[in-house]
Amino acid sequence: MTQALSTPKKPKLSPLRRKEEFEFYLSILPWIIGFILFTGGPIAASMFFSLTDWTGLTTRNFIGIQNYIAMFTTDKQFLTVVANTFYYSFASVILGTIGSVLVAILMNQKIPGINVFRTIYYLPSVTSGVAIAIMFMWLFNPQLGLINYALSLLGIQGPLWLASSTWAMPALILMSLWGIGGNMIVLLAGLQGIPDHLYEAARIDGANKVQEFFNVTIPMLSPVIFYVMIVSIIGSFQIFDNVYVMTRGGPGDATRVLVYHLYQNAFEYQKMGYSSALAWILFLIIMALTYLQFRFGRSWVYYESE
Amino acid sequence: MAKKSLSRRKFLIGAASVSGAAILAACAPQVVEKVVQQTVVVKENVQQTVEVPVQQTVIVEKAAPAGPVVLTAAHAWEAAFEAHQEEFDNNFMKANPNIFIKRVNSDWSAHNQIVPTWAAAGELPDIIYVHGSRAFPWNKEGILITVDNYVSADKPFDVAGIWPEALKLYQFNGKQFEIPYDHGPVIMGYNMDLFDAAKVEYPKPDWTVDDFVATAKKLTIPGKQWGYSGYYGNTFDLGNEIGIALVGGWGGEVFTDDESKLVVDSPESVEALKWWADMYTQKIVPNAAESTAFPSGVWVAGAAAMFGLATWGVPQMHDFGNFKYDVAPWPKGPKGQKTGSFGSGYGITKDSKNPDVAWTYMSQYLNVDGMNFMWASSGRGSPARLACKETYMKAAINPPNAGYFYDAMDKYAVTGHPYHTAASGEVADILGKYCGLVRTGEMTPEDAIANIVKEANPKLAAAAAG
Repeated sequence: MTQALSTPKKPKLSPLRRKEEFEFYLSILPWIIGFILFTGGPIAASMFFSLTDWTGLTTRNFIGIQNYIAMFTTDKQFLTVVANTFYYSFASVILGTIGSVLVAILMNQKIPGINVFRTIYYLPSVTSGVAIAIMFMWLFNPQLGLINYALSLLGIQGPLWLASSTWAMPALILMSLWGIGGNMIVLLAGLQGIPDHLYEAARIDGANKVQEFFNVTIPMLSPVIFYVMIVSIIGSFQIFDNVYVMTRGGPGDATRVLVYHLYQNAFEYQKMGYSSALAWILFLIIMALTYLQFRFGRSWVYYESE
Repeated sequence: MAKKSLSRRKFLIGAASVSGAAILAACAPQVVEKVVQQTVVVKENVQQTVEVPVQQTVIVEKAAPAGPVVLTAAHAWEAAFEAHQEEFDNNFMKANPNIFIKRVNSDWSAHNQIVPTWAAAGELPDIIYVHGSRAFPWNKEGILITVDNYVSADKPFDVAGIWPEALKLYQFNGKQFEIPYDHGPVIMGYNMDLFDAAKVEYPKPDWTVDDFVATAKKLTIPGKQWGYSGYYGNTFDLGNEIGIALVGGWGGEVFTDDESKLVVDSPESVEALKWWADMYTQKIVPNAAESTAFPSGVWVAGAAAMFGLATWGVPQMHDFGNFKYDVAPWPKGPKGQKTGSFGSGYGITKDSKNPDVAWTYMSQYLNVDGMNFMWASSGRGSPARLACKETYMKAAINPPNAGYFYDAMDKYAVTGHPYHTAASGEVADILGKYCGLVRTGEMTPEDAIANIVKEANPKLAAAAAG
């Protein structure tokens, strides 16, 4: 005798539970409306525009994936732009992460006035991007800048920095270290969460400071470092302000990065459709890198709960 | 009885409800009050035949608006000139009591970005400022209307009194879309104080490029003062109005007339550009690093004896230059004398609800009296009408020989390309990129020219075909 299979009945929600659900949706409604209007909607629109030849004004014809093909065929700058962006991102993230770890360790000392130093290191990350860019243009000035002046005191003739196609990108990378304070705070919190008994156990086992650093600090801090790297890579791929203010992608194409290339195509060349396609390619690149980071993160990130 | 208090949950619910309502209200379409009342006199001529459809000819005569009309005008003036604009608008409104002018002013870069945004939203002001470099793309996109009918019906406006070189910048498909307000050439400015200190004779009206470079050498003090500093600090530059100035004297060109390709790789143009680039080797001009020491520009700082100067650069010289200066004609090259000119204008947009009234404003803004008031008397720019020359020459901020600007317009200035191609933005970028590498010494002029032609010509060809 076969027994008829019956789908289990969904339990009826109690009035209190229904009320709680309604309150939940009502609470998140403002964010959802804002997201749809100002983020989700434009994102969907840009996907549509990337399939057109929209100039940003009136001309708009559906052209399929022609914009995506053009990136690799007619746009001679695209590969240069992507290479520059990778160069900037990898260099600034590696230097920035190492720098912020080291500074966080320094700021983790229990000495009088340490809060003053923590504030000093954090302040630059909350200052205006354009103001910082203008300040650094002066610092990097080959004739009058403080950096070349300091180098001259060491007997080194400083390069042309932003006026040199070799040194312009390194200048931007060095400038990115100005904002390590934000990551420093996050890493500092991670450092303060490492239990003391691990260091005690290491000392009992005869570990010196360097061994403690590599065998206790880094593994315990690895989830935070992982987070910092992901967020930094996502942010560094979207660099724009500094390039726009300081170099305009030059000299030559030395500092032309993806977002600046996208901006020029949209607002100066009136190729809004093509720049929408560039935006989606940027999204895919960042997604791919984030996926790879998670994939390979499993091999070096230590989660205490696992 | 337990006292009721406001729980966190109730507070959050209330806040969420209020926020949601506020956002929904903000997203509601705006209700625009229209206060326009217009009296329109319509005459009809109706012809009827048995076998063809009825033809109706409707003639609309303009009449002064019976009720108040609000006209919006978007400008791109620097803050110092806004007061002058306001004065004109106030005078206009006194003479036309039913027209109220609402001004929108942005800086130049912001204006060129905000106009496409307005156009995309269908919210363009009635009248907008249009730089010569934006005329073609904006006209191609149809965001401005042709003024041919207005111009031909408005005889006192005297469009024939405007320089044809200036008018053609704003023509598209054989129709006139904007009207220029200024159009000026690049000629040579010179620091009279530096000339006097070195006891060097001022440039003569018929001087040549050889005289120019000899003079520049006499006025160069290595590392401190340069004989020439270029146009806006760039000696090697192929931008609109300066590119042709560099190559024209050698018989060269930068673009073909139809802007379908660059011809800057012709032997004449290459010879010219090598000549100008050699000034860096001779250290007569500041290199890229030296230029950066003068944020306002080497010429404004008084460290350059000579500099390319257009009429729109005169206010800056007056406001910031701390020395006596004058102007001389652009020096003659081996094969003649040529320089570039460019300008700006105003047009009526497609979104204007009152184009007839907008023309009433434009015709008074851009006729002889309007140009004299706005640009000739203030010296803000050389008006695009020869009839305004006398007033312009009397402007207090002008150099003593400002007449050379008009001489150039009359005799040897041509409107600098590109201005009739959809690829102008990209090509300008390519030109700037490689000229910059020559200025930093990282590329020879020959390589720069080869790269420019290789990169830009396909874009020009595609734009010409499209």
